[in-house]
Amino acid sequence: MDLQEVILALTRFWGERHCVVQQPYDVEVGAGTMHPETFLRVLGPEPYQVVYVQPSRRPADARFGENPFRFGKHLQLQVILKPSPPEVQELYLDSLRALGIDPADHDVRFEEDNWESPTLGAWGVGWQVLLDGMEITQFTYFQQAGGIDLKPIAAELTYGLERIAMFLQRQHDGFAMRWGGGVTYGQVRHQEEVEMSRYAFQVAGVEMLRRHFEDWEGEARRCLQQEEPLVVPALEAALKMSHLFNLLDARGAISVTERVGLIARVRRQAVACAKAYLAQRERLGWPLQGEAAP
Amino acid sequence: MSDHQFLLELLCEEIPAAALAGAAAQLADGIETRLGEEGIGEVRRAFVGYTSRRLAVVFTGLPERQPDRAVEVQGPPVKAAFAADGSPTAAALGFARGQGVAVDALRVVDGPKGQVVAATRTVPGEAMEAVLARTVEAVVPALRFPKAMRWGAGEYTFVRPLHRVVALFGAQRLETVVPLTLFGVAAGSTTLGHRVAHPGPVELLGAAGVEDYVQRLAAAGVVVDPAERHAVLQEKAAALAAEVGCAVRRDEALVGEHVDLLEYPGLVRGQIPTAAMALPEEVLVTTLRHHQKCLVLERDGRVAPYFLAVMDRASDPKGLVREGNEWVVGARLQDAAFFFSQDRRRPLADHARRLDRVQFHQKLGSYADKAVAVQALARWLGAGLADDDEITTAAALARADLVTGMVGEFPELQGVMGGLYARLEGYPEAVWRAVYDHYRPAGLEGDLPQGTLGAVVGAADRLDTLAALFAVGEVPTGSKDPFALRRAALAVVRLCAEMPLRIDLRAAIGRAVAGRAACAAGGEAEVAAQLAEFVRERERFYLVTKVGVAGEVADAVLEARWGVVSDDVSRAQALEAVRGEEVFASLAVAFKRVRNILAKADRGAGDEGLLIEPAEKALFEVLQTVEATEASAVAAGEYAAGLRALAAVAAPLDRFFVEVMVMCEDAALRQARLALLARLERVFLSLADLSRLGGAAT
Repeated sequence: MDLQEVILALTRFWGERHCVVQQPYDVEVGAGTMHPETFLRVLGPEPYQVVYVQPSRRPADARFGENPFRFGKHLQLQVILKPSPPEVQELYLDSLRALGIDPADHDVRFEEDNWESPTLGAWGVGWQVLLDGMEITQFTYFQQAGGIDLKPIAAELTYGLERIAMFLQRQHDGFAMRWGGGVTYGQVRHQEEVEMSRYAFQVAGVEMLRRHFEDWEGEARRCLQQEEPLVVPALEAALKMSHLFNLLDARGAISVTERVGLIARVRRQAVACAKAYLAQRERLGWPLQGEAAP
Repeated sequence: MSDHQFLLELLCEEIPAAALAGAAAQLADGIETRLGEEGIGEVRRAFVGYTSRRLAVVFTGLPERQPDRAVEVQGPPVKAAFAADGSPTAAALGFARGQGVAVDALRVVDGPKGQVVAATRTVPGEAMEAVLARTVEAVVPALRFPKAMRWGAGEYTFVRPLHRVVALFGAQRLETVVPLTLFGVAAGSTTLGHRVAHPGPVELLGAAGVEDYVQRLAAAGVVVDPAERHAVLQEKAAALAAEVGCAVRRDEALVGEHVDLLEYPGLVRGQIPTAAMALPEEVLVTTLRHHQKCLVLERDGRVAPYFLAVMDRASDPKGLVREGNEWVVGARLQDAAFFFSQDRRRPLADHARRLDRVQFHQKLGSYADKAVAVQALARWLGAGLADDDEITTAAALARADLVTGMVGEFPELQGVMGGLYARLEGYPEAVWRAVYDHYRPAGLEGDLPQGTLGAVVGAADRLDTLAALFAVGEVPTGSKDPFALRRAALAVVRLCAEMPLRIDLRAAIGRAVAGRAACAAGGEAEVAAQLAEFVRERERFYLVTKVGVAGEVADAVLEARWGVVSDDVSRAQALEAVRGEEVFASLAVAFKRVRNILAKADRGAGDEGLLIEPAEKALFEVLQTVEATEASAVAAGEYAAGLRALAAVAAPLDRFFVEVMVMCEDAALRQARLALLARLERVFLSLADLSRLGGAAT
């Protein structure tokens, strides 16, 4: 199965199960969780189901395109089911069937793996799903986001798309994995990995990154200080801060002690966004509540 | 007739392995306690089982119906219950009526706030189903887990979402569903089989008891008894290993963890790609065991090119599980090989030079700075114990692997990787072993380094860490010990005691703090004193926990003198051996008196020639003999003999205290007596402060 067949199959599978088929967020993020369709939608009482692919940037994980398992940017397929349905595990196993993986022929395990994002003030409880010893999905029951206790609880499924495609193709070299359209992952992305590694590790301007971190912090604050707070622009500013932090980190410019402080500054904005979002939705009368999908 | 039984099964989403066994035990304990409170004692725990998805208990020996119980109910105080003439008041009458007993039947008992009247009321027994229902409904929500969660609407909190509850009660057969509800799930009589092997319902109504329950689940692909899963895993592992002429490398902890991750114990054997077998064994084992939770096979003591992967199913008919695991293991090892070859592009000494980029502590500079401090300290510690050039090299390389890719990916290989790289680069065995081993021991448990050089470098590294962090005020308090300094100090104590590394810890601490004097804001002497106290406390812990002496023995020994740990251990063992002998009890009391007198007095020179009383002259005589005997025993390391020699002082010392007044008017005589006692104290303290024994320490 090509990478794009995996994307299409999972998107169709969840799309047919009342999920909104969303698109990747167009701001640099480290994980699909940061997409407002997850971070904001899990807050408050309104139900929501969504699926989308999110390219996720982890500059420090980049390896100049030399390590066939490591990428500075990888693709996550993210599903949010809010509230988590009772049969969520069975639904998940069905989604594997959509990939041609029949659990009856494999060893599928749910091993405890809890998730926490200090930058988002978020944490959840769940498992990593192992397929024949390979970690293919992070399965999380969100408990808190933006420092706020969640109710109802959303289930978050995060599929690691490169790993799944490599596994299905029994391909040990990520860059040789078939993407689809007659080309490989490497043909599509290798040069980008090389350049983005060099940028993140050697070239990125530390002074500029630091300055912009401050700038976006101020911008987030300003957005939220508007008479009618601008929630999404503020969150985007917080996401920028998070990415700038990741770049500074990859660049080796952050000391151990400074790290905690910078993370706390991003979290402060994320928490403020979460609060502002809840207030906004309440003002709007929780528009999505009680409108169960047909 | 107590011939009924009760089965409870909770079916959840996968419960964390670490929480399972404890949860099952809590469940059984909770039910048993609660039933006891309901007047149903003597029940038998016929089964406590669990799998990754279920908790199960079976109790037998239950009555068909809860017996009637006599319950004592306390009422108003006696003063309020009876008038002056002894007749019952309205309060007493009302209480008796309320409890349904005659007023004559009231008794007087002691209540928490004085005497009260009490009635014994008979509470009629209820149907067991009702009792069991409220028992379970109280016990299950109160189970404690390391981490609980909410789900769905978010109304309930438990370890994982609960899907089914089976609660059955009956005599020969479990024929009645106990009407209870947990987290919105009503109890029934069916459970589910194995998620993929037998996904349908499994009827348990009418099951004959534990065996039948276990069998019905087995038929549905679930082995609910963890002990059986354990046995099956080991049996299958041995068989799969034998097929390829190998043995399983013993790994109880890993097998135990797997037992709790399964519903059905299965194993599949996979092959390690030939190319990967060129990796060092440590890397193979770490990848297989820590990252893939695979069992390692060995042949002639060497890692064999196979692994065993545990799976939650009986067989692998299409070979997909084996194939998948082989792919993952291959990928993991290829990844490790990538980092290994990257690291090998430059020599270890080059990596060491890059330690200046790794911060040790904000106020203490980098690991390169640390390497310099450790090197100096190691050379001082190791003088006469190891070759100076080798110490210098090993200390310089010890932490170099912190900047290697392998340790970045596999932090548990710290030290080991540096050692392996040093070996491949042809460093002398003592040197690469020291680098490899210097993290050992991990703490109270764990292996020691294999050579003296590793112990010297390891002790120097930890003493420097302790000195540096104490210097900048990072002192552990209560449960806060973010730099694991207690463990570091304990490791130093173990190295000194067990290698043994014969160094004087007090001098070593002084030296280590001097090496970090520039950072010591609070003053070098204060830091050294604080650290010495900290290490001494760890040594005390070691003597009590590992050597196994009583706390007062450890105190007695360390109070006298401490720091050469192997010597402290010998003295503690000697004292532990002799302290039961009767004479030491009275000696402890007398010696305490000596110390008290000396503590209050001015110590000065005194002329023992001035002693006049027979009792003090006698003591002086004995002391001189004891002094000599004891000194030669101490010199020979025969501490028990030395301690027994002290016993000779007991009788003359008692007599001395009866007949002699130390604090007499005559100043010169007083000084002479004090000098005599001071001399006695010196003799004792060369072994132990016996005043600490027998609770005499206060």
